[in-house]
Amino acid sequence: MTQDTIVADKLTYHYNDLIAVDHISFSVAKGEILGFLGPNGAGKTTTIKILTGQLKPKGGKVILLGMDVAENIERVQSEIGVCFEDTNLYQRMSALENLDLFARLFGIKSFDAYALLKRVGLAGREKDRVEHYSKGMKQRLMVARSLVSQPQILFLDEPTAGLDPISSEAIRNIILEERKRGATIFLTTHDMMEADKLSDRVAFMNQGKIVALDKPDKLKQKYGKRALKAKVSGKNGALESLEIDLDTPQTPEDIHNLFKKENVVTIHSEEATLEDIFIKITGRGLTE
Amino acid sequence: MNLKRISILLGKEFIHGPKNFMFIWAIVAPLAFTLVATLAFGTLFSEKPNLGIVDEGNSQLVVMAQELDSVTTREYEDASQLKQATQSGAVDMGILLPQNFDNAVSQGETVVIEAYIWGESLAKTRIILPTTIADLVRELAGQEVPIEIESVTLGDEVSTPWSERLIPFLVLMGVFFGGLMLPSTSIIEEKQKKTLEALVITPTSIGEIFIAKGIMGVVLSVFMGVAILLLNQAFGINSLLLVGVLFLGAIMAVELGLIFGALIKDITTLFTVWKSGGILLFGPVFIYMFPQIPQWIGKLFPTYYAIQPVVELGLRGGGWSDIAVNVFILIGIDILLVFVVAIAARRLMRRS
Repeated sequence: MTQDTIVADKLTYHYNDLIAVDHISFSVAKGEILGFLGPNGAGKTTTIKILTGQLKPKGGKVILLGMDVAENIERVQSEIGVCFEDTNLYQRMSALENLDLFARLFGIKSFDAYALLKRVGLAGREKDRVEHYSKGMKQRLMVARSLVSQPQILFLDEPTAGLDPISSEAIRNIILEERKRGATIFLTTHDMMEADKLSDRVAFMNQGKIVALDKPDKLKQKYGKRALKAKVSGKNGALESLEIDLDTPQTPEDIHNLFKKENVVTIHSEEATLEDIFIKITGRGLTE
Repeated sequence: MNLKRISILLGKEFIHGPKNFMFIWAIVAPLAFTLVATLAFGTLFSEKPNLGIVDEGNSQLVVMAQELDSVTTREYEDASQLKQATQSGAVDMGILLPQNFDNAVSQGETVVIEAYIWGESLAKTRIILPTTIADLVRELAGQEVPIEIESVTLGDEVSTPWSERLIPFLVLMGVFFGGLMLPSTSIIEEKQKKTLEALVITPTSIGEIFIAKGIMGVVLSVFMGVAILLLNQAFGINSLLLVGVLFLGAIMAVELGLIFGALIKDITTLFTVWKSGGILLFGPVFIYMFPQIPQWIGKLFPTYYAIQPVVELGLRGGGWSDIAVNVFILIGIDILLVFVVAIAARRLMRRS
């Protein structure tokens, strides 16, 4: 039986009249990566704040590692790591000092900050003041800070937002390494490719509600349309696009006819992206 | 509440706090004001207290007084000369030693000394000279002798020197600027840079963060209060009690700082509040500066109960009985503010 490390039960939160989180329930198994997707204002950050004990839900409850967060806040927080969306490092301290401070607050006695900084690609810059770091370096340090306590659950809020491809890839590798170590990862991101690549399951959040939650492949099967896209040479030599639906009884005949009757220039299969599915379910894009 | 975490946070405040502009400002500004004031009024390098004596007999006390390094002693022919010298400020205090003074002293009789005091002499001088005379008399008698000094103030009696009127202002600024502004700017900066969010996501509680910042503020605040009193040579004779009062005042300043830090959004607003609300803090010292204003008005301000005991102990040579009621009121204010700090901290957590 798989043990759930995160259990959210009918969570509700509202800021005055604005409902930010509306009776959402889900669970995340040990060692699983859950991608939490949704446009700005969907309620993702509020959900993370509730899960990590920063906000007390107006309704429902959160169980992390078998403990009710509301009743065991200190114990729960000693077992989790959080990487925030906005950079919130001590800028006048060095990377080493930042990590050392947080390690001591977690009560960790033996801690190799140099090794952790090397792991996130900051070797050689350990003693530089953070204010002199680039955005990518700061973000990697944020991830490193969330790992100082070797947390059982890692909450990552848009960890690669606005980063260069190299920094993003470095962070993705760390996420996968952490999963290998056995950590459960709650990942919010705008990057659909990233969510698709990293997540075992994804949850779509819209207007405070979870509108879909499943493995990416299953969502694609359920909501996506498989198609074959071809470019053919028309009568006057101009390229024309054709699309053949792969899930109809007519498909074999359509494909046969394509090659028999048309001059095919290029052909490729196309499956729905998570973005397509999100739009299909909610009627709005993820970046809206 | 975890003491180890508080000490870790306190270490952070001590190591990295001085990089904060407010930390430097909280030390530099009051000290600069003090130095300017003491230089302007000449009290920083002020002369020794001047004692005038008319000896109607042939007292050894005159010789003993003249041998003292800490007091300048001048002898006068008669009472009218002494009175004139005191009135003009040539001496801070003039005493008349009657005939057979030494005999009376050695027989342990009650000694009555007639004294003139210059109305504009510094408060510290008014503490130093009678204490010195009493010591000399005891030395002369070789035993404890009851001494009565019957004093008459000459010159402008109500004219407290400006150098002295400014001391409560300087002390209050030293104690409250550091104590109030350091924790408040530190919390606001942590809110704005969102590092507070990062701290409270660890097992650290907001209470532990507030206590660490508070301790830092109290230490700075007491240090500044002591430094300003020392620079003004206004430490009185009850030093320990005075430090205790400064400590209680520092707690009040820090509590207000924590409340402001929790409730105010940014540094600009904090400075606006400091400037506009400063009258509530500095009201009592402005009233002290102008003795023509009814002094009871000062009691309407909470800071009165922090500064009045300092004035009483440091400038007037008072003791516990002179300050007890106000100190208890100050303790009451400190306790009340603890609850307000707790409410503000809870509100801060909800809003963040």
